[in-house]
Amino acid sequence: MSDSRDDFVIAIRYALLKKGAKQKFSLFFLIILSIFVITLDKLSVSFILSTRAVLNDLVYQVTIVSSAPGNFLSYSNRVTKDHFDVVNKNEILKKEIQTLKSNRYDNLFLKTENESLKKALQLGNPKNRREETPIRARVTLDQQSPYLKSLLINKGKKNKIVKGMTVFSQSYLIGTIIESNYLSARVLLITDLNSKIPVVIQDTEVNAILTGKGKKIELTLEYLPDGFVLEPNKIIYTSGKDGFLAAGMPVAETYLGIKNKLNIKSLADPEQASIVHVTNGGFNR
Amino acid sequence: MSNIKQFFSRNLAVIIFYILSFHSFGGLQDVPNLLIFSFNLQMIIIYFYVLKYPDNLGLGHIFLAGIVNDVVIGTPLGTSSLSFLVLAFFTSYIRNVTLRAKMSSEWITFIPALFLSNLVYFIVVNNFSPLSFYYVELLRDTFFTFLFFPIFYYFFSSYEIAVSKE
Repeated sequence: MSDSRDDFVIAIRYALLKKGAKQKFSLFFLIILSIFVITLDKLSVSFILSTRAVLNDLVYQVTIVSSAPGNFLSYSNRVTKDHFDVVNKNEILKKEIQTLKSNRYDNLFLKTENESLKKALQLGNPKNRREETPIRARVTLDQQSPYLKSLLINKGKKNKIVKGMTVFSQSYLIGTIIESNYLSARVLLITDLNSKIPVVIQDTEVNAILTGKGKKIELTLEYLPDGFVLEPNKIIYTSGKDGFLAAGMPVAETYLGIKNKLNIKSLADPEQASIVHVTNGGFNR
Repeated sequence: MSNIKQFFSRNLAVIIFYILSFHSFGGLQDVPNLLIFSFNLQMIIIYFYVLKYPDNLGLGHIFLAGIVNDVVIGTPLGTSSLSFLVLAFFTSYIRNVTLRAKMSSEWITFIPALFLSNLVYFIVVNNFSPLSFYYVELLRDTFFTFLFFPIFYYFFSSYEIAVSKE
C-alpha cells in the first residue's frame, strides 16, 4: 500500500521537476509562473496594463499576418457566393424600389409637416444638435471562440477609440469596445453572452435587456414583465437607459423560427462585418 | 538551404503550435456546414508530443504559446498557459507510469487529461474574469478533440518516423 503511494509521489515529482535533455524550464517553475501572471493580470496594476497593451498590439499584428491566407480564402468564398445572390436580389430590389418611390412622396410631406410643427411648438432646430463623426476602422480578426464572440479592429487609442464606445456595421449596432490598445481595439459583439443592451420593443413600452447566446439568430430578452407575450416581426430598439447608447437605434428583430418558435435575430451580421464605424453612442450617420 | 529545411522539419510541431495560437484555430468551424466539428488541435499536439517526443516540444514554447493564445482570445493572461501546462503535467505523469505504450490506452487516458486541463481553465476564467462560457460549444470542442486524436496520432507518428529516418 505504502509502496504504491510512494510510486505515485515519485511519478508526480518526476513529472513536475524533471527537465528533458532539451528543456530549459521545469513544469513546476512554468506552472508557478503562469499562476503569477494570472494574479498580476487580475490585480490590474498600471504597469501590467501598459505591458498587456503593448503585448496585445504586438500579437495582433502577427495574428493579422498569420491569418491573412485563411481570411483571403473565406473572403473569396463569400464574394463568389455573393455574386450568385446578386441576380436574385436585383429582381427583388427592383420591385422594392417601385414601392419605396411611391412612399417617398408621403415621407417628404410628413417631414415638412413635422418640421413646421416642431417650429410651432418651439422644440428647437434638430440641425443644431451635435453630430459626431464616426471613426472608420477595418476588422482585422474575427474571433468566434467558445469563450468570447469578438472582433479586432485596426484602430485604437491613437485614433481616440476608448473602452465603451459603440460599433456599427452597415448602420446597425454590432457591439461595444471592451479593450483599447494603442493600435488596435477589441469589439464585444452583441451576440456574445457577456453583452447586455437595454432595449425597448416596438409598439410597446416594455423595457428589457438584450443579451447574446453566441449566434446571430439566437438573441434573448431578459427581465421582461411577467405575462408579457412577445410577437413576431417586431423591431427591438435601444432604450438609452444605460445613459450611453442613444435611444431608438434598431438592434434586433423578432421572428418565427422552426416549429413556430419565437426567436430574436440581430439586424446586423457581425460575421460579415469588414468595415465598421466607431462612435460615442449615437447613430452611425 | 538544407539547414533551413532541417530546422523546419525538426521544429514543425513548435511552428504549427505557434501558428495555431496566433490564429486561435478552431478546427473545421471555418468551413461552412462543418461548424460542429470544432476541435482543439493545440491540446492534441501537446498531448502527443509530451507523451511521445518530449524533446520536440519545449515546455517554454507551451507557456509562450498559451500567453499568445490568451491575448488573441481575450481571456485573462496566463489562463491558457496554465491549462496547457496542466495537460503537459498530466501527460508527463502518464508517460512515467506507462510500461507498455499502446495507442488505444493513450487515447483513453486523453479523456482525464482533457478533463483536468479544461477544469483548470474553467476555474481560472470563472474566478479571475467576468467572462461567461458557451458550455455546449466547449463540450462539443472537447468531444471532437478526443475523437480526432487517433487521426493526428497517426499523422504525427508517421511524420516523426519519416524525419528520424532522414
